[in-house]
Amino acid sequence: MGNLSRREMLQASAAGVAGAAAAALPGSVSLASAPSQDQINMRYQVFNVDTVQHMLNTYMELNPHVNIEAISVTGVDHQEVATKILATLAAGNPVDVGFACTEVTHLYAGEGLAQPLTPRLMDDADEFMEYYADTSAALSETMLYEGDVYQLMDNFNAANMFFNKNLLAEAGLEMPGKEWTKDDFYSMAQAMTGIDGSFGYGWINRFWGSWMPWIFVNDTNVLEEERAPGGEWFWDTFYAGDERAVGRGGGWRWPAPQANNPKMVEALEFVVSLTQEGLTPAVEIGGGTTLLGFFSGNKLGMTPAGGFWAGGLINSGLEPGSFDTQFWPEWKSQRHQLGVCGPWILDGGGQEDQCWDFLKHYKKREIQDALGHFTPLPLTTPTRRSLNTEERFGQTGVENWRVFYDTIDERPDTGPIAQPVFVVELTNIFTRYTGLATNGEQTPQEALDNMQAEMEDLYARNA
Amino acid sequence: MASETTLGSGRRNWLPAWLAGDTVQGIRRQRMVLGVLFLLPTLIGLIVFVLAPIVVAVALGFMKWNVFRPPEFIGLKNFARLFQHELVGNSFSNTFVMMAMTVGMLEVFAISLALSVHRFARSRLAYIFRTVWFLPVLLSGVSVAVTLSYLFHTDFGVVNYYLGVLGIDKVPWLVSSDIVRFSVSLATVWRNLGFTFIIYLGGVSALPQEILEAATVDGARGLKRLWLITLPLLSPTILFATVIDVIRLLQFFDEPYVMTRGGPGDSSRTTVMMVYDTAFANLEFGYASSISVILFLIILAVTGFQFLLSKRWVFYQ
Repeated sequence: MGNLSRREMLQASAAGVAGAAAAALPGSVSLASAPSQDQINMRYQVFNVDTVQHMLNTYMELNPHVNIEAISVTGVDHQEVATKILATLAAGNPVDVGFACTEVTHLYAGEGLAQPLTPRLMDDADEFMEYYADTSAALSETMLYEGDVYQLMDNFNAANMFFNKNLLAEAGLEMPGKEWTKDDFYSMAQAMTGIDGSFGYGWINRFWGSWMPWIFVNDTNVLEEERAPGGEWFWDTFYAGDERAVGRGGGWRWPAPQANNPKMVEALEFVVSLTQEGLTPAVEIGGGTTLLGFFSGNKLGMTPAGGFWAGGLINSGLEPGSFDTQFWPEWKSQRHQLGVCGPWILDGGGQEDQCWDFLKHYKKREIQDALGHFTPLPLTTPTRRSLNTEERFGQTGVENWRVFYDTIDERPDTGPIAQPVFVVELTNIFTRYTGLATNGEQTPQEALDNMQAEMEDLYARNA
Repeated sequence: MASETTLGSGRRNWLPAWLAGDTVQGIRRQRMVLGVLFLLPTLIGLIVFVLAPIVVAVALGFMKWNVFRPPEFIGLKNFARLFQHELVGNSFSNTFVMMAMTVGMLEVFAISLALSVHRFARSRLAYIFRTVWFLPVLLSGVSVAVTLSYLFHTDFGVVNYYLGVLGIDKVPWLVSSDIVRFSVSLATVWRNLGFTFIIYLGGVSALPQEILEAATVDGARGLKRLWLITLPLLSPTILFATVIDVIRLLQFFDEPYVMTRGGPGDSSRTTVMMVYDTAFANLEFGYASSISVILFLIILAVTGFQFLLSKRWVFYQ
C-alpha cells in the first residue's frame, strides 16, 4: 500500500467500506478512469466557475495537454463548503486542487489532505518573491500550519463596519473616522434605530463576522492563541526586512478554549444588550445574503462585512455611494478578525507537479487581476496589495475602500478567526450557544459556560 | 437430458445445448433466462442504489471512519455511545414532535381540501385548485425554506408584519425554542400539502357514491356523515397517506437545516441533521451511520405499528 496515491487510497477506502465485511481491494487498483499518458485531467474546486474561466482558459492554452474541470462547490459559509469537499472524499472522488478559506485551512493541512508547499516554494522561491512582496505578512501567516505553507491566496476579508449612508443621513450623522470607539458606535446605533422601522446595527449568527469582531476588539478570542514554532525559512526568504513580519512564526495555534473568560462574557453581554434595547433585530441563523437583503432595503444602519460587500451591495441594487465602510470601533483594542482564501493541492493525488505548475500560473498578477470575483466588480478583497485600486473599488462608491487593506497594514495585530482542525464542529457549538444567549433563553454567562464545557469536551476528544 | 421431450429440430446453432428450443425444458429455460435479462436492469439498480447503500450504512455503524484514514472495526461501541448521548436522544425527540405536528396538520388540511375540491370535480375550478395546491411540491425544499425563513423573520418578516396590523405582538418564529418546531412544521406543511392532498383527492373520488347517497337518504348529513360514513370509507387512503408521510417526515432535514440549523440551541435539530453534522462536521462517519441505522429501525417499527393498529380502524370494502 506504500505506493498508493491518496486518490487511490480514498477510493479504496470508500469501496472497502462498501464491501466492509467483504475484502480489501487490491492495492494497485484505481477505481478512477485513468487518464491517458498524454492528457492530464485535473479537477479544480471553485465557488463560481465563471470567475475563474479566464484563468483556466489561459492555462490550458499554454498547456494543451492539460484539461481542467472546474467543480463548483457552494455553501452558506466556508465550513459548509468543507463538508461538501469531505463528501467528495468520502465518495472517493476528491479534487486535485481545492480552494479553502481560513476557516478550514488547518483542517485540510492537519488531516494530511493538503500537500505542504514548502519544498516547492523553496525550489521556486525566485518566482514567488514578487507575489509575497505584494501580499501582507499577516495574510501569508494564515496559510502556515506547523511551520509549513499549505495554501496560496487570492482574496481575504477582514470584518469592517459597513454603513448605510441613507440612514446615516436621515439620522443626521457623519461617517466616523478610523479612531472611532465602541461608545461612538453605540450612540450612532441609537440614532439610526427607528427610522422607518430600521435598526441601528444588525448581525447574524455564524462564525466569521457575527459577534466575533466584538470579541477581537475586546482583546480576546474564543480560543487561546499562540504561534507555532518554525516558519523561519518562509519569513527569511520572502519577508526579510519587513517589520510587519517580525515575530510571526510557523502558523497559528489554538491550544485550548476560553469561551467563558470575563472578556468573552463582556463582549456577549454587550451584543445581547443591543438586542434587548431594540438596537439590533432578532439575531437569526444565516449567511451574508440575509444581511445583504436587510441592509440594501435600508433596514440596517450598520453591519459587519468585508470588501466582498463593495460589489455585493451594488449587485443587490444599492446605488454607488449609498454605503461606506470604516474600521471596527475600538474597545480595549482595535484588533480585527480576518479570513483568507486560496488554493491547495491534494496530497498524494498523483498530479501534484502539474497542480503546482497551475498554481504558479494562478499567482501571477495579471491572472489574479482578471479573476471574476475582482472584475468587473470587486466581490471580495484581493490579497495582492497592488490590486486594491481606486479604479477597482471607486466604481462601487465606497469612499473608504482603502480601509480594506489598511485593516492589515495599519492594524498588523489583526488575526485570523480560530481555525483548529475540528473547526466545523467548533462552529456548531459557537452558533448554538450564541443563539441561546441572543434569544434570552440563557444568560451570556450561562451560554458561554456551556459553550466552554462543550468545547473542552471537543478538545478532549480530539487530543 | 435423455428424458427431454423433443419438439423439432429448430435449434439455433449459437445457442448452448441446454437452451435449445427443441425441448419443453429448453423453452422453459429460455423463458427463465429472458425473464432474468428483462429484470436485470431493475435488479442492478436495486442492488447498486438500495441494497448496497444499506449494507454499507450498517457496516459503517460498526466502524470508526473519518474519511482521511481507512475504516477501523470497533464492534458495538458506536451503538453503545449513541444510547448515552443526550444530543441524539434530543434529536429523536424533536423529530417525533415535529413529525407528529406536521403529519397531524397535513392530514387534516389535505382531507379538508380534498373534500372541498371534490365538490367542484366537474368544473374547471377543479383543475385550477389541483394545480395551485400541488405547485409547492414542485419547488425545491431549500428554496422554500430560505424564502419562508425571510417571511418568518421576527423583525422584518411579512408574517409578523400582518400580525402587527391585527394588533398582535411579534412572534419569535425561528428564535424561540418553544415556537421554532411549530414554525418549521408549518413551513413543511405548506410545501408538502399538495402531495398528500392529491392522494386524498384520489381517495375521495373513488368513494362509492351509492353508499354516500344511501346515508344521505337515511338522514346522515354534515359532520355526522363525514365522521360515520366518509372517513371510514376513506380509511385505507388515510392509512396509506399517513404511512407515507410518517416515513418522509421522520427523515426531516431540508426545512430545519436551512431555516434554523437546528437552533435555537438544539431545539429543532432533527435526527437526520444529527447524522449529517456527525458525519460531515464532526467527521465521525461510523457513528453517524449507527444513528442512521437506529433511525431506519425506528421507521420500520413505527410503520409496522401503524399497520398493526390499522386492523382496528381501517375499513376495507
